This record gives sequence, C-alpha cells and structure tokens, in this order.
Amino acid sequence: MEDCKTCEPEFFMKDGKLTRRTFIKGVGAITVASAIGFGSAETALASKGEAPAGEGEKTVHAVCTVNCTSRCHLQGTVRDGKLIRVEPGDMPGRPGYANACLRSMSYIQRLQDENARVMYPMKRTGERGSGEFERISWDEAIDLIAEKLNAVVAKDPKAASFYSFTGDLGKLSWEAPTRYAACLGATTWDIEGIMGDHGASMGMTMVFGTHRGAHDSRDYLNSNLVICWGRNVADTHTSELRDYVAARKNGAKVIVIDPRQCSMAAMADEWIPINPQTDPALALGMMNWIISNDLHAKDKLVEESVAPYLIREDDGHCLRMIDGRIVDTSEIAGAENADGSIGTAPAAQGEAGAGANSYVIWDEITGTAVAAPDAAAIKEGAVKPALSGTFTVDGVVCRTAFDHLAESAAEYTPEYTAEICGLTAETVERLAKEYIEAQPAGIRMGQGMQRVYHSYSPFRTVATLAMVAGYIGVPGGGASHAGGTATNKPVAGYTGPVYNYTDWSETGNTANMIRSSLVYQAAVQHDPVPIEFLWIANSNFINMSPDSNYIISEVIPAIDFIVTADPWWTWTAKYSDVVLPACTYWEHWDLIDRSPWAMFNQPAIEPMGESKSDVEIMTLLAQKTGVAQYWDKTDEEWIRQFVGTDHPAWENLDWDRDVVGQGIYGRDDALYDPAIVYADGAGYKTDTGKFEFYTESMLDFDDEVPTWKAPAEDPREGELAAKYPLVYIQYHDRLNVHTQHILNPALEVVQDEPLLQMNPVDAEARGLAHDDIVHVYNDRGEMKIRLFVTEGIIPGTVATQSGWTPDYFIDGCYQNLTHLTLCDAEEAYSMTNSAFYDVLVEVEKA
Amino acid sequence: MAETRYGMVIDTQHCVGCQTCTVSCKISNEVPGSAHWNHLESLTGDVLYQSTGTFPSPTLAFRPMLCNHCDDPACAKHCPTGAMHKDETTGIVSVDQDVCIGCGYCDWVCPYGAPSMDDVDRVMSKCNFCADRVAKGIEPYCVASCPANARIFGDLNDPTSEAAQLVQSGKGRQYLAEAGTSPCVYYI
Repeated sequence: MEDCKTCEPEFFMKDGKLTRRTFIKGVGAITVASAIGFGSAETALASKGEAPAGEGEKTVHAVCTVNCTSRCHLQGTVRDGKLIRVEPGDMPGRPGYANACLRSMSYIQRLQDENARVMYPMKRTGERGSGEFERISWDEAIDLIAEKLNAVVAKDPKAASFYSFTGDLGKLSWEAPTRYAACLGATTWDIEGIMGDHGASMGMTMVFGTHRGAHDSRDYLNSNLVICWGRNVADTHTSELRDYVAARKNGAKVIVIDPRQCSMAAMADEWIPINPQTDPALALGMMNWIISNDLHAKDKLVEESVAPYLIREDDGHCLRMIDGRIVDTSEIAGAENADGSIGTAPAAQGEAGAGANSYVIWDEITGTAVAAPDAAAIKEGAVKPALSGTFTVDGVVCRTAFDHLAESAAEYTPEYTAEICGLTAETVERLAKEYIEAQPAGIRMGQGMQRVYHSYSPFRTVATLAMVAGYIGVPGGGASHAGGTATNKPVAGYTGPVYNYTDWSETGNTANMIRSSLVYQAAVQHDPVPIEFLWIANSNFINMSPDSNYIISEVIPAIDFIVTADPWWTWTAKYSDVVLPACTYWEHWDLIDRSPWAMFNQPAIEPMGESKSDVEIMTLLAQKTGVAQYWDKTDEEWIRQFVGTDHPAWENLDWDRDVVGQGIYGRDDALYDPAIVYADGAGYKTDTGKFEFYTESMLDFDDEVPTWKAPAEDPREGELAAKYPLVYIQYHDRLNVHTQHILNPALEVVQDEPLLQMNPVDAEARGLAHDDIVHVYNDRGEMKIRLFVTEGIIPGTVATQSGWTPDYFIDGCYQNLTHLTLCDAEEAYSMTNSAFYDVLVEVEKA
Repeated sequence: MAETRYGMVIDTQHCVGCQTCTVSCKISNEVPGSAHWNHLESLTGDVLYQSTGTFPSPTLAFRPMLCNHCDDPACAKHCPTGAMHKDETTGIVSVDQDVCIGCGYCDWVCPYGAPSMDDVDRVMSKCNFCADRVAKGIEPYCVASCPANARIFGDLNDPTSEAAQLVQSGKGRQYLAEAGTSPCVYYI
C-alpha cells in the first residue's frame, strides 16, 4: 500500500453549496478545478438567487427517474408553460456530481410532443397490436377496468397481476401500482429477473450478503489501477465519469474489459476485448496466476473470508460444530437463504447469520478444529486458522474452502483462459500481474457481464478475485457494484424513522409477489398463478423482455385483459386493451430518497393531455374497487407526509424554499455513504459474517466455488453454433437508457437508426460491407438492420444498442432474437436472470 | 489585441464522444431547425464512432468541434455584408442575423465547419461562446455540461487562466493551424 496516494473524498457539507461552474476569478467566483469534486468547494459566483431565470422564464427542478443509475438532479427552464431547457442541477456538498446528460436534455422535446405521448385514456378497437384505439373518458376507462378487475378479484385476487418495473424510480410512481395490488391481495412481479439485472444481485449476495455495495467513485483517486469490468460508466453512470477522469489524471491506469470498445474505453488507457459470457474465466485465470505466484492476500483471506473454513469431503458442506460437537449437515436446518428473500430486498440485514458460530476452522496453534473466530480474534493472534490443508476432525475428512477455490482456479491456466476469453495468454498474465502489483486496484463491475446464463457467476467471481488479491475493504480497491448513495444509517441517540411511510405502508392486505422469471409461464400455463388481468406500469414490457415473438404469440393472447399506464405509445401499449396516459417526471410530485439528499419531482409543466400520475390513477381505481380508504391523499400530500417527521434530517427544511425552490434537500444530519465498503473486514452480511466464495446452496449445481460455465447457446461447439456462429449482445450507450429516449429529436444527430456492430473479419467472411442492410436471424426471430463495421468489437460477436423499438428497424426487432431460458441453479437460489447476451445468430446480406 | 481573448482547450484524451456538448448547445441555445453549433468528428478516422487501427488495439477517439473564434476569422473576412464579425473586447466571433443574407460564403471558407445555416429563418447561425452567459461569468453550456470536464474555457490573454496555461505549456494545440486563421480553440 506504499504507493497509495491517500485521498479522502470530501464529506457531505450541508452548506457547501456550489451552484454552477463558473470560469472567472475574483471575489465570489470559483475556478473550474474544484468542479472535479475534490478540493475546496468555494462559493459560486452565480447562486440561484443571483442568476435568476431570464425574463418570462421560471427555474424548475426534477430528478431524473428513468433508471440508469445516476438519478441526476435536473434544473429546467420553463417559458410560456413549456420546458425549454435542462441543465445540471446542484448537488449540495458534492458539486462535481452535478450532471444532466444529453438524454435528459432532449427528453423534454419528446415528452412535450403530443404525437409521442399517450394523451387520453384509449380503448382498443382493432386487433391487439394493430394500434387501433378510440379515445374514452377517464370515467369510462376506470369503470371498464374496475368491472374487469372486480370480477377477477372476486374469484381469485392472485389472478390479477400488477407489473410495475423501473421506468420511473420515483417512490410514488414506482410503488403506486404494487401498493394498490397489496390492497387487493393481488399478484406483483419481483423486478430484476426478467429485465436482466438480477445476476449481479445474486453474485453480490453470495459473496457479500447484500445486493449492492460500492466504493464512492472519488475513492479511485486512491487507486493506481481502475478496472471497469463490463461497465460503461461514461454512458450508464454519467455523473461519476468526472471521478474516473480525475483518477486517471491523478496517475491511475484505467482499463476497460468489454467485448466492445465502449465509450468508457475511449478515455481508458487500455481496452481488453473479451468474448462475451467469459468474464468469470478471466477472473479465475487471474486468480490462478496470483495464487500460483504466491501473491494472494493470505492474511486477509484468513481473517475476512471463508477461506480457512473446513469443508467436509463426504458431502461438500461446511463442517459444523455445536457446543464443541461436530454435527451432521442434516442437523443444520435452513442455513442457506434462511429468509428466502429475493429481488429488491436485501438478502440479510444482520452482520452475520445465526449460524455464524457453527462454522469450523483448523487452528494451527493448538492443532485442533475450533469454531470460526471473527477477524479481530485472528488479528490478535489468539488463533491461527490454516488457509490450506486437509484435516480429519472427529473422523470427518475436511479440506479448507481456499483449497477448493484454488483447485477450481488451477484449471484456468493462462493458455486455457486465453482460449475461452479470446485473449492471448500474455494478456491474461500481464493483466493479473498489473492487477496484483497495483496496490491498490479498484474494480467497477457492470451489469454488462451478467446478462448471461449462470448470471451470478461474473460478479461473484470477479469479487472473489478482488478478495484473493486483498483489495476488498481497502481504499482505492474493492469490487464495486452500482454506487451513488443509499445510506440509511441509524442516528446515535435517535431512533425515529427518517421518512414517514406509515400510511403508505398501510394497505390492509399483502401482495402476492412472484419472481418475474415466471411471468411467461404464469400467463401460458397458469403456474404458479393464472394471469387473467394484467396492469403494466413503468415498463415497456414487450420491448425490454426476452423473446418478443413468444410474448406476442403466446403470452399476450393468454391474458384476458391488459391495461398499460404509460406516457408513451410503447410496443406494449399497442398490445393492451386499455391504455392510460401517465405523467413523466416533469409533471407530477414524487420523491427519490438518495441519502444524503432527498430529491423531489413536482409539476414543472401541466401534464400533457389528460395524463395523470400513477398515484392519481390508482386512487381513481381504488374508489371503484373497494379500497378507497387507502388512497385518501393527493400526490403532494403524500410527499409532505413522507418528509413531515421530526427526525433531525429535516430540522431546517423549508418546503417552499427547499422542496419547491431547490428540488433537492441535503439532509441536516448530513449522512453520507462511507467512501469504501467492508473496511476493516466489517459489514459482510452473509451467514458467516465473512466474504463467502464458498456457497453451499450451489453444491447441487456443481458450483459451490466460482467456476466458469459455458453459455446456454455456446458458440464454441455444437449444432447451434454451426448454424448460428455469432454471439449477439446488446449494450447501453449515449443514446438511450431503455426505450424512453427513442428517439428524442435532438439525439438524431448522434444516431438515427439502430445499427449492428461487427468486426471487419466477420464482415469480410460474409461478403458484407459497412452500411450494408443485413438480415440477422436465429430460430426465434429476425431483424433487418444497417451494418456498422468497426475494429472496436471482438470478432465472433455482433451488437446493437438495447432500447430501440420496432418502429426504427427496417424489419423485426432485436428482442425477437433473445430468449428466456430458466436456469435451475438460479431458480434454486432466487430467480433466473434473462440471459440477453447469451444469444447466437447468423448475419447475411439482406 | 483585444483585452480579453476567450478561447477553449478541449481534452480529447478524456472525451468519450457522448455529444452532451452538441445536444446541450442545441437545446439550451434553442438553435433552430437543423442547425448545430457544435458537432463531433472522429479524431483518427472518417466515420464517427468507428474505431480505427487494427483489432485488438484499435483507437476510439473524438474531436468535438465548434466555432474556433479565430483571431483572423475567414468567415468575417469573406462575409459580403459584414454580418460575420469579431468582437474586439471579447474575441468572440458572431453573426448579426439582421444583416446576414444567408449566402453561405462563411460556411464555405470556414476550416472548421462552424457556421450552420438556420433553415427556419434562412440566415446563418453559429456558436457565440454563449456570450450572454460568459458576460455573467458563467461557462458556456457545452463546457458546463461536459461530463468528462473535457472542455476548459477561459481568457487566453490571462496567463493565470487554466486555458491559457494549457496553451502556454504546449499541451493544447490548434487544429488545422495551417489554414491560417489563428483559431482560439486548442486540443489536447
């Protein structure tokens, strides 16, 4: 750690306001240098009060809720009732975080275009998908929906489904439909699985015990190497990009591992092009090189991970000891996934599970098996757990978990790893060497690597690499997922809740939440529930779910009645029976809890047409479905109630000045996320209370320690590979997050149609040239699209941006090509993650 | 020489090609029709977003373009009406749309493709370094919105400005200096 350039990220400062970047020097001015986010935050020249909006203009605020991961505070300008401009909004105390991307800026064009918006309640008149609708009144719409819904609920509330995903992350918008479902005891669908974000959560939960966990991106000023692994920060967490730029200027090398030379690779020192679906193999290859060269962090592994834990040779389970007696595995009940939680809820809230003391290590001091000690006891030298070795305890032969990991990794020689990953053996070795020698090196993991079969493996394995290297819990290190802030730490001496969600949580009933990986099966086979009524909100379900041909031909026809509430005429809306106009985030009240900030949406413009917020819509429906008592507030009243507590967070909150005037409130208790996670070996929320690379529940799937498993559609061998030799992936970049920004008019200059990226090697082999129109197909579907030939993609892989809607393809759509294949291991652990990037296709000239 | 000479240094090493500059300029300045005051080019090739060189070590890099606010602007020199002009107190080159006849000579002679026809009003339009904001000490939209902090704006005549220092250190270089217009935009 000698080279570590220790930098402390600035902490949140309540009064550290800096409103916008200015360039001139002098009294009351700042220089641009401080806009990086470090260094002193001087007072800005132009505060809100000093730089009023132009004549006839009004400054307004919103938080972007479309689910990239930034959730930026936006400052808008309204003139004559129209939003004309969007700029970065202030982030009190973290000026370098202020950001507004090109998507949020141009979004105002589309959201104020009455041809793009759903303007009125509409009832289908033609075939589903025909786009033939007639305008009806809100009363007619609600009556029609209530009649259908009441009939289904009378028979079986669970046959009514409410599918609200992540199209609007505001508290009210996101939760209103599922809260309403809870009032009825109806079915809801656990997000993440079908949308392809759940592999990360599973992998993180396996090793850390919680879905998310990230170093503050400013901590990379402490790094000598930063690896963006499947993470295109520049486009998908844009507000953090400046921190990576600052880190690089500070001397850190930036490496991007990605099948594509993504935007982030444009600012990186090196792009390592890797075959899709093979990231765990590279991590194992690096691990193997590090262990083979005896460079692994032995002390950290022993203190903070399950490395020294004894594993029974007879059944592969952890050796368990209760009251000094070795017990059979069968005597330990419910040790794994005890609470069975899936989806958005943390897997565990405690620091360690109830069974933490039952695990066993071999103490080298006494030469006996003893209960696994915590990190502190090991550091004090009271016990010395063996990292490696085979031991017999009460007649049970055991090996350490580390030996299992090392054995799994040993297979991944540089040559074998290189063959899988599409790299050279030299690159594998050099990367491993650079990584372990960096001291420290930070890894930012991205969801790009986990839209694969066995999707838990990438995050789990890369994080394990970081543990083997000793970088977990170290400044400038980590294996981080997501980021930003989400802290809700208890305040010493104060136990009251920060937000008052009591009324919001009172629904009189509970929702029947089901894993979203089963939604097709539910519709078609009525298992585990039938879907007779489906309410879709905050989601372009067809466009963002795999195998759209199957959805349209099998899933949709199996559902009797479909309502979609959406601002846009999405593909999904066109297949619905009633379409309700929903507000965008500039048109209604909402709240994003992003500690240390509370961020607010409020009507900056009149809702377009007859659009309403999700709360207003559910409130109308509640009145006709017998649950009106739970929907007795306006949107603004809900928000006022949420922040109307006597918690110290709100001590100086002034509604008009802060909520209306600023749109963001820096909490008075100034809570901020720690700069790093798992410092001093603390905070692992696994059952053992340690970093768990050994996962007993994966024994049935031969995956108890990290391995690499071939994709479901393997390009390496087999009939399918012969027929469809190219791996097809999608990606998120500057143009879109999902489908909400297709195609904001001002973005046409960036790109105005979907493109298929292909390496020249693959193009030449097929007689294809840049700009050709090509036909992309497999057994599930096809699309016709323009070809973009570039050296910036690994041969054997083709790619398009995710989020394009069928309107913009010459023919077909990319989701025709993808598939939903349930993965036994994932269903056993929590739920299958859509393997959007585990797809084989062939491409020919159209 | 003007007392103030506004200029910009653009760090192509950290530009990620997002075009937030292009879009923020277009939206925030309410640039009409199909006109654009910023645009983006590939730094190393002909096709934007196409990597150059050879796999596995190709290059992906960008050159954000805007008016270079040249010391000897070709647009002003060739403008038949005097609409195109350089402000002596700031160095900012702008077009007086009340005088412009939309002949397009400026666009033909500009080495940087900066003048952009306002196809709504049929007069030329162009980047003015957000002169109104700059007058209030606020950075141009493209600078304030850059998520990579890749644009440094300042007075090139002020040796203490970051922009001037980057130019003086030799890190920033003019693009197409051989065109002879003495541009005030530099690239790292």
